[in-house]
Amino acid sequence: MQPYVLVISLVLMVVVAAAFWWAARHSGIDASQAKVAGNVEGYRGGVFWGLVLVGLVVTLATLRPWPYDVSAAGDTVSVTATGSQWSWEIAPQEVPVGRPVVFKVTSNDVNHGFGVYDPDGTMLFQTQAMPGYVNQVSYTFTKPGKYRVFCMEYCGLVHHDMLDEINVK
Amino acid sequence: MAETASLRDLSSPTAVGAEPALAAVKLSMGLGGLVLVLLMLLGLCMRLSQGGSLSMEPTLFYQVMTAHGAGMVGTAALTGAAIMWFFLARHVQLIGWVYWLMLILFLLGVVLILGAIFAGGFAGAWTFLYPLPAHSGGVWEPGAAAAFLAGLISIGVGFLLFYLETGRAIIARYGNLSRALGWPLLFRGSQEDVPPPTVVASAAVIVFNGIGIVVGAAVLVISLINLYAPGFAIAPLLGKNMTYFFGHVFINATIYMAVIAVYKIIPEYTGRPWKTSRVFAAAWSAILLMVLAVYPHHLLQDTVMPGWALAIGQVVSYAAGLPLIAVTAFSLLVSLNRSGIRWDLASALLVTGVFGWTAGTIPAIIDAIIVVNRVMHNTLWVPGHFHFYLLIGEMAMAFGFMAWLTRARATEGLSGTGYWGLLAYLGGGIGVSVTFLVGGAMSVPRRWAVHLPEWVVQDRVGSLFAVLSIIGALVLLGRFMTRFASPGRA
Repeated sequence: MQPYVLVISLVLMVVVAAAFWWAARHSGIDASQAKVAGNVEGYRGGVFWGLVLVGLVVTLATLRPWPYDVSAAGDTVSVTATGSQWSWEIAPQEVPVGRPVVFKVTSNDVNHGFGVYDPDGTMLFQTQAMPGYVNQVSYTFTKPGKYRVFCMEYCGLVHHDMLDEINVK
Repeated sequence: MAETASLRDLSSPTAVGAEPALAAVKLSMGLGGLVLVLLMLLGLCMRLSQGGSLSMEPTLFYQVMTAHGAGMVGTAALTGAAIMWFFLARHVQLIGWVYWLMLILFLLGVVLILGAIFAGGFAGAWTFLYPLPAHSGGVWEPGAAAAFLAGLISIGVGFLLFYLETGRAIIARYGNLSRALGWPLLFRGSQEDVPPPTVVASAAVIVFNGIGIVVGAAVLVISLINLYAPGFAIAPLLGKNMTYFFGHVFINATIYMAVIAVYKIIPEYTGRPWKTSRVFAAAWSAILLMVLAVYPHHLLQDTVMPGWALAIGQVVSYAAGLPLIAVTAFSLLVSLNRSGIRWDLASALLVTGVFGWTAGTIPAIIDAIIVVNRVMHNTLWVPGHFHFYLLIGEMAMAFGFMAWLTRARATEGLSGTGYWGLLAYLGGGIGVSVTFLVGGAMSVPRRWAVHLPEWVVQDRVGSLFAVLSIIGALVLLGRFMTRFASPGRA
């Protein structure tokens, strides 16, 4: 997903830059305000309602089904992950391919972030590890291998070394 | 001028149109620019360290990171407040010493924060996410964390006084905040005593940032007491909500204050007034509500949060972009079109600022989509978007205000060192931000002192762009400083 997100973002940012560039390039002709103001509110309305429409489509497309609906995961495997400064306690550390795994994540001390990376170094999902709470996230691994666990929330001076692994078979 | 008046004169409101605490405003901008460059150097050091080009122990890295974050937020807030104060004084009667008091409390806070970090070893990040200040892992003492929190409280109290005074002055002039927000025009179409854009924007910022600062002060005091009385504790989820509510509102307020410079200065160049219309009033009322409501997008990875709150975080993040794009940015582009605008450093920087703000919100909005946030949250994607709208947005507006404040009487045009400084700042800033975005797309976690070998290329490219942006900032700041003593304002 990440490369698509990057490309879409950069393209939209370039569109914004082009609009500003175009306006700057066409700023030098001294004309009457009335002429410029002719269709301004019409254009503004078009931009506004166009953005509203895009927003509705994106919202419906990304919130249905609800991204955190772990109850719909079916025949699941449960894994608990507990963060402490600066290590993870993950049980079990071995999970099967093809079955939904529900991660129940918490912390013994401060906020941590439980981020799971595939063997190629791409983040697959994450959730926060918070003392006193259990955040749940479901994921189905499709390939075997060693998946790395990184801490994704700054938790003190060894934050970058709070690493672990999950073995998917 | 108020800054040369006696103490007795300073105790009463100045006349409308006067410039109370003008010297303090200029001092704020100079300090802001200077601190910005120093903090950019710290940022460069962090990127060089991550890229393996500079040896920095993780302990020092995280201290520098804490100073960089707190300092940048403070710099943006101070420069934004200076802009709002300067232009609001044209419409309401402000008491100059309140600004000076805010500035003194700000500087006191800076001293406490720097002492906490570099003398006490505090490295809990500027977000001081509860209960981290009390859990240093044996690295910093409670006294260091207390000094850091007290420093933030000092700065917060200063800004609260600032908002109380600006709010008082607005109410004294317009009767109440709803009139200052333009609600009679918005809801009844009344054209009587319509407040100018500066007043509408200021009133909105006063309401949402006043609330934000009070919530921030509460979680700061709770954290402070918790250091010495661990039994005095709150739910970490509540602490997280309070911290991100405060942090989001406070950093957003910096841009919403700075954009007042665009509303005020650009019309001088285009000859087209920026007036309060029903659309403008509606946009700012929407901004007021959405800035307060949008903060759950910082908690999208806390699934224990109510689902409706997370959905609001996503939806409002998108909606909050509409007033910016369809009102401020759109109106600016229309205002420029065939206007015969006089381009100089000030006008170019201010337009650049709106561009940076608008473009920078795009990756921010995309990051607030839950399914995207799941793989982008707390990666370098996050500094990617906030560097864009702070460096090329808020700070470009601040530099534009500085350039306007010290502009020569004669038409200068856009050339020479100012032109090259702008290009370097803009090019470097875009490069820094886009490199972060690329890092985010590579899944590189943010706030890591040590990077894996496969990540260092983007670190090194980012460092080069950081050098370029620092050169640009130095040129812009140097131009301001050299004109500071004899501004020769038109």
